[in-house]
Amino acid sequence: MANLSLKHIYKVYPNGAKAVNDFNMQIDDKEFIVFVGPSGCGKSTTLRMIAGLEEITAGELKIGDTVVNGMEPKDRDIAMVFQNYALYPHMTIFENIAFGLRMRKVPDVKRYKKDDNKGHRAGEPVLDKNGQEIPVMRKYNKQELAAKVNEAAEILGITEYLKRKPKEMSGGQRQRVALGRAIVRHPKVMLLDEPLSNLDAKLRTQMRSEIVKLHKKLETTFIYVTHDQVEAMTMGTRIVVMKDGFVKQIDTPKNLYKYPANKFVAGFIGTPQMNFFACTLKKSGDKVKIKFTDADAEIAVPYAALMKTTPHYLDGNKNVILGFRAEAVSLDGAGDAKIKVKISHSEELGTETLVYGDLNTEGGEDTRIIIKAGGFRQFEPDAVCTASLDTEQIHLFDAETEESIMPRVPEFNYLDCSVKGGKLTFLGTTETLPPAISCADGKGELLIPVSAVKFGGGIKAKVTDSETVNGKILLTLEINGSRLYALSDKERKGEVSIGIDYKAITLRVGGSEVLPMPRINCLDGALIAEKKDGATVYCLLIGGEKFAAPEEVYTKIFAATTGRKAFNTAFRYEWDAYGLSVGENGISAEVEGMLDYGEEKFARVNAGGQTLYVKTDADLSGTVRIVPDAAKVSVVESERRIRIV
Amino acid sequence: MNKANVKVVKAKTKRVLNVLITYCILILVAFIFFFPCLWLILASFSKSGSIYSFDGFFPAQYGFDAFKSLFTDTVMYNYPRWFANTLFIAVMSCILGTFLTILTAYCMSRFRFKSRKAMMKATLLLGMFPSFMGTIAVYLIMTQFNLINQHWGLILIYSAQAPMGYMVQKGFFDTIPYSIDEAARIDGASNFTVFVKFILPLSKPMLVYTALTSFTWPWSDFILPKMLLIDKDLYTVAVGLMSLGETEFARFAAGSIFIAIPIIVLYFCLVKYMINGMAAGAVKE
Repeated sequence: MANLSLKHIYKVYPNGAKAVNDFNMQIDDKEFIVFVGPSGCGKSTTLRMIAGLEEITAGELKIGDTVVNGMEPKDRDIAMVFQNYALYPHMTIFENIAFGLRMRKVPDVKRYKKDDNKGHRAGEPVLDKNGQEIPVMRKYNKQELAAKVNEAAEILGITEYLKRKPKEMSGGQRQRVALGRAIVRHPKVMLLDEPLSNLDAKLRTQMRSEIVKLHKKLETTFIYVTHDQVEAMTMGTRIVVMKDGFVKQIDTPKNLYKYPANKFVAGFIGTPQMNFFACTLKKSGDKVKIKFTDADAEIAVPYAALMKTTPHYLDGNKNVILGFRAEAVSLDGAGDAKIKVKISHSEELGTETLVYGDLNTEGGEDTRIIIKAGGFRQFEPDAVCTASLDTEQIHLFDAETEESIMPRVPEFNYLDCSVKGGKLTFLGTTETLPPAISCADGKGELLIPVSAVKFGGGIKAKVTDSETVNGKILLTLEINGSRLYALSDKERKGEVSIGIDYKAITLRVGGSEVLPMPRINCLDGALIAEKKDGATVYCLLIGGEKFAAPEEVYTKIFAATTGRKAFNTAFRYEWDAYGLSVGENGISAEVEGMLDYGEEKFARVNAGGQTLYVKTDADLSGTVRIVPDAAKVSVVESERRIRIV
Repeated sequence: MNKANVKVVKAKTKRVLNVLITYCILILVAFIFFFPCLWLILASFSKSGSIYSFDGFFPAQYGFDAFKSLFTDTVMYNYPRWFANTLFIAVMSCILGTFLTILTAYCMSRFRFKSRKAMMKATLLLGMFPSFMGTIAVYLIMTQFNLINQHWGLILIYSAQAPMGYMVQKGFFDTIPYSIDEAARIDGASNFTVFVKFILPLSKPMLVYTALTSFTWPWSDFILPKMLLIDKDLYTVAVGLMSLGETEFARFAAGSIFIAIPIIVLYFCLVKYMINGMAAGAVKE
C-alpha cells in the first residue's frame, strides 16, 4: 500500500563490478511490477536493495514518502518471498507464518492486568492524571496471532497443514507457506524473487494465476523478479527489462511487445523470437527501400509507415537492423511487401505452425526467418515461397547501439527548409531567425527535436492525432499538409499555435551547419570541508573556487562514497545554462561570444579550457566570473561514472 | 555338473573367501586396538599394586583392592578430589569454550568485515603449531595475572584456545542457507534473534560435537595442569595419576579406567542429537 521511487540507484561491488547502473523508476501504489532479464542482469540485486538486504551504493530509494536507504529491512515494512522458499525448518507452518507477527508490536493503550480493589477490571484502560489513555506498544496476543495466521492460511488453502513441519510438505505447498509468511503482515510492498522457478511447469502455471489473484485481493504493490518472459508478460502491469545492470525498457506488457525500445527487448519478449536482418534504408519519394545486407532481397515500404524513423538512417548507407515478428509475415500473400523465402523445416504446434526458412535461397544463419502459419499445414522442405510482410509491424534498430531508430516518441522532426536573408522557411511558413543563428542563404534541411516544439508561438497547426507515451502526450500536428510531432503535457485538440525553440535546432543549409546549443555544462572538481565559525561547511571545489554545497548534495555524496574518501574523489559537476550565472565571486572565465535567441540570451565563455553556456540578460565581454547554483547541481563520480545527485 | 553350475559355485566360493579374509583382517585390527585397553582393565583388577609382581604379562591375582583404595585411601592420593577438580575445569571450559567457538564460527560464517579473511588464515596457520609450543609464554602470562595454581587460570586458557578450532563449526553454519537469515531479518529479527532462534536450533549436531571436543581436551590434558597447578589438592586426574608411586600401578590403571566413564556417559546422553538433516525442508536444494 505504498508507492516506490527509485532515483539513480547504483550497485557497485568492492571489486568494481557494477551490478546495477542508474536505475530510475516510479512505482505507483498497487502496481504489479515485474523485473525480467537474463541471469546476472541485476534484477535480483535491485530487488534485494529494495528489501534492504543489499546496500545501495548511490541513489535514493523511497517507500511511500520515506527515504529508506539506510533503513533495516524490518523497518521498511516489506515482505519477501525467496526463490528457495527459505522456510524455518525447525518450526511448524503455523510458527513459520506467525514469526513475523511475533517480532512486531501493535499500538494499544495501557490496561489493568488484574481486577483491583479500587474497582478497576482486568483489561480496562489505565487513565493518567488528566483522564487520558496511555498509549503503549504491545505484542500480538494468542488469539490475534491465531486469527491472522488462519486468515492467511485460508487465502492460500494451507489451513490443514498448519501443524506440519516444512519437510513434510511438497514444493508447491512450501511456496504457499512462504507466500503466507509474506502476506500475514500486510506489508506495504511485496517482493517476490523468482518464487516459481523451483516448481514444475504445471504447478508454475497454476501458482502464477494464484499470485495474480492474490495481488488483486491484497491491493498491495508487488515487485516480482523472474527470468521467464512468459511469466512477466502474463503477470505484470508494468515490466522492467534489464540486461547487464542496465534498464533496457520499462513499459506495459503490450507496449513492450508492440514498441520495443531496443533489439534486446524485441528479441527477449515474445516467442518465437523476432526475426532480425541487417539492412540499409533509402528514402526515395514517398517510399523507403529496405535492402537486405546478407541476402539478395529488397522491399519497398511506404514512408508513412516509417515516419518516426530518425532521419539520418534513411540515407542508404547506415547499417540498421530490421525486425519483425513471426506473425507479421504470412505465406498467404496478405501483406504489402513481398520477399522470397526458401523453407527449411516446420514445427507443428497445434494451433499454429512455425515455418523456418531462409531469405538466401542457399541458406545461412544470418537470414533465418520464422513465419507463423495456421495449424496443421504441410510445407515442403526446400520449396521457395513468397512471404508478405505487414509493413505496419516493422521495427528498426541501429546496428551498433541496437537502440530503436523508430521510437514511439521520435527524436526529431526532419524537414526540408530554405533560408533567405535571415528568414527561415519550412512547412510553408516563414520565421525570422534569431541573431544567434547565422546561416548562408539556400535550401537545406532542418532538424527540430520533438521537445523543441513549444506551444504558444506564431505558427498555426492542427492536431490530427494524439497518443499517451510514458505519461507524456505525443501530438501529431499538421501544418500546410505536412506532419510535425510535438510533445505536450496536456491533451490538445483542434487548432493550436506553436513556436520553435531555436537553441535546440540543427540547420544544414548550403554546406553550412548550425548546431544546437549544448544543454549541459560540465565542470571537474572535488568536495572539501571547511571550518567556518566553529561549524563544518562542505564546499564544491571547482577551479580553485569554493561554493557551499547544500545538505542534500553532500549527504548524497557521502552516502555514495562510503569506504572511499569523499574528499579524495574526483567529481564532475553538471549544470544546464540556467544553473550558472554571472556574479562577483566565481570561476574566472573569458567571454567568447554572445548567443541571442530572441527571447533569451546566452554567453559562451571559456573557463580554463571548458566551454560553458551561461544564461544572461546583459551583453558581456572580457573576463567574467561564473557562479554556479549549488542547489541545481548534478554530480557524477568521475572514476566509477556514478550519478550521485 | 554343467559349465554354468561350475561358474555359480566358483563365484560363491570366491564371495565366501572374500568375507572370510575381510573378517580376519578386522579381527586382527580390533585385537591390536583393544589389547592395551584390555590389559589396562586387567591390570586395574590386580591384587598387588606393583607392575613387577605380575605373573608374566598379566596380573597374578585379581581383586577390587585398587578401586577400593582409590576412593578410600585419600590421605596421600586424593583421587575423588582430583576427579571433582577435573570435572569442574572440564565442565566450565566446555560451557565457555563452546559458547566462544560457536560465536566465532557464526561471526566468520555470516558477517563480512575487513580483516575477516586475514583472521581466518591467521587462525588456520596458528592452529598448525602444537599448543605446547606456547606453554612458556602462557606460564609467564598466567604469573602476571596471578592465575598460577588456580583452576580458573586453566579454564581461561582452555576456553580461549577452543575458538581456534572454529573451522568445522563455520563449515556447518555455511551449510545453513543464508536466505533463512534474510527471511528472518525481513520478518523483524535482529542478528542476535537470528542466532538464537534459527542458527542454534538448526545446529544442534554441531553444538554437541563442539561441546564434546571442548570437554574431552581439558578432561584428559596433562601438560597445562602439570605446569600451572602446584598444590596436590588442586591436581587434575591426569597430573594426580602421574604423581602416584611406582608401587601403585594397579591404582593408576583403575584411575585411568574410571576417568573414561564421564565421557562415555556424556556421549550416550548427547548422541541422539548428533543426527543429520536438521535443516531439511528449509530451502529447495
